[in-house]
Amino acid sequence: MKTPKLLKRVLKNVASCPSTIQYPREKTSIEQDFRGLQYADLTKCTGCSLCAIECPANAITMTPIPQEFEVPRTNLRRLYPRINYGKCVFCYRCVKVCPVAAYVVTNKYDLAGASRLFSDEFSLATAKRVRP
Amino acid sequence: MSNVAITKVVQIPVVTAEIPVGPQHPALHEPLLLKVYADGEEVVKVEVNTGYNHRGIEKLCEKNTFYRDVFIAGRVCGICNAVHANCYVRALEQILDITPNRRAQYLRVLAMEFERIHSHMLINAVMAENIGFDTLFMQIMLDREKIMKAKEILTGNRVLADFMMPGGVRRDIDEVKRERLRDLLLKLRPQVEYYKKVFEEDLTIYRRLVDVGRIKYSDATSHSLVGPVARASGVKIDSRASDKYDAYGEIPFNVITRTEGDSWARMMVRWDETLESIDMCLYILEHLPSDGNPVVDERRLPRRFPPGEAYTRVEAQRGELTYYVMSDGKSQNPYRVKIRTPSFNNIINSAFMYIGYSLADVPVIFTSLDPCISCMERVTVIDLEKNITYKVSLKELAGGRI
Repeated sequence: MKTPKLLKRVLKNVASCPSTIQYPREKTSIEQDFRGLQYADLTKCTGCSLCAIECPANAITMTPIPQEFEVPRTNLRRLYPRINYGKCVFCYRCVKVCPVAAYVVTNKYDLAGASRLFSDEFSLATAKRVRP
Repeated sequence: MSNVAITKVVQIPVVTAEIPVGPQHPALHEPLLLKVYADGEEVVKVEVNTGYNHRGIEKLCEKNTFYRDVFIAGRVCGICNAVHANCYVRALEQILDITPNRRAQYLRVLAMEFERIHSHMLINAVMAENIGFDTLFMQIMLDREKIMKAKEILTGNRVLADFMMPGGVRRDIDEVKRERLRDLLLKLRPQVEYYKKVFEEDLTIYRRLVDVGRIKYSDATSHSLVGPVARASGVKIDSRASDKYDAYGEIPFNVITRTEGDSWARMMVRWDETLESIDMCLYILEHLPSDGNPVVDERRLPRRFPPGEAYTRVEAQRGELTYYVMSDGKSQNPYRVKIRTPSFNNIINSAFMYIGYSLADVPVIFTSLDPCISCMERVTVIDLEKNITYKVSLKELAGGRI
């Protein structure tokens, strides 16, 4: 019985390393519209809580915006969605149901590390600070 | 059950060894225990023990809203998430009486066929690994990356698609993406043909798979086997061809069957289906209709569900998958969601296949069924107040009627 030539392929792959990536020195190639980290833009958010209600993973809690930040007049209750990325399943239901399209989407996927577990720093960075 | 004649009595010899295969990944990395009784090297009896991975998905669906359940259904199984979501979403569409446009239907089929290709490639690779042919495993997994990339381009994620929504899909593709998907599929096709040839001609695979775990046509039908397992025994069963749901009525494809019925035939059915799926995907990308926007505006979906029930089925990678969804019209949550997965049929009824073969054949036969344990697990109760875990027997569940 004739056997297919697998060895030639193997040797070629050993030499060329077709799928080896030197992570983290070299990043994995990711699509521009990959469903990565998302957060609310506080200049648009109205604090309506629809994303928190619809989230299938209960990853979003509506949190009061600290007093030192400016909020648009539409956000009467001064609330914003705080996403727990440890719980988030990145289905983008929040992005799609938002009535004012307040969510900013990125293709960031490397979320390991204690400082990035919640979306506060990203969301609060979009809001202006009140001048003293 | 008293009128059923006993045709075969399996006598377990006194001197048998009871060998547990599993529950730590007997074939795929999923928990299932095969309690194998062996007389020497020969298997005389197998008990299939499940229940290591039950998550209470059906109850979870009843506790969440209809739309949240779309994502929960997608997480029943990682490998067949798009088909699970599609089946559930079509049930919701039946209750709501809405139909997605043709472009959305084509895109749904595209996502499901991508999933079929990568699932079949995965199980063929795992089969190669289980028989000790690790080089082939690595080679197939290398080329599987192409289809994972295609899925990322189409749905936005490599594995969990989250692509289906009542009334349409959640993302569209443009011309650039269409060309990239076409390129990836055209690159993949010769590779799959090559691996199929390896499975046909390689001596190692031939000796390990041929004539192992043979299932007769009558056994396949009497044990209600579904999917490629049944099709490898000559049973022409395929929901895509019989139901013609979504765009399957408009896309030409063949139902692959073989008559051998052994482990090798089951793997070959999967290779042929992979090639068939690649052709279907190329057809879809060529003939993608432009009859409107397939992306549904999720802000305008109906919030109230009328009372009603729906029963839908899809052909998942492992066979027929069915969803029953019931709405009582009062609450925002479904009254009942019942899932029946193909692995449940195939694995629970698989004990007869191992008998008479040697112990070394057990993993081969088990892998050839393409087990998906997370799909099929259905009852462990965890009482958080008392901090205890206990199992509920079938008799208790049926209220003592059996």
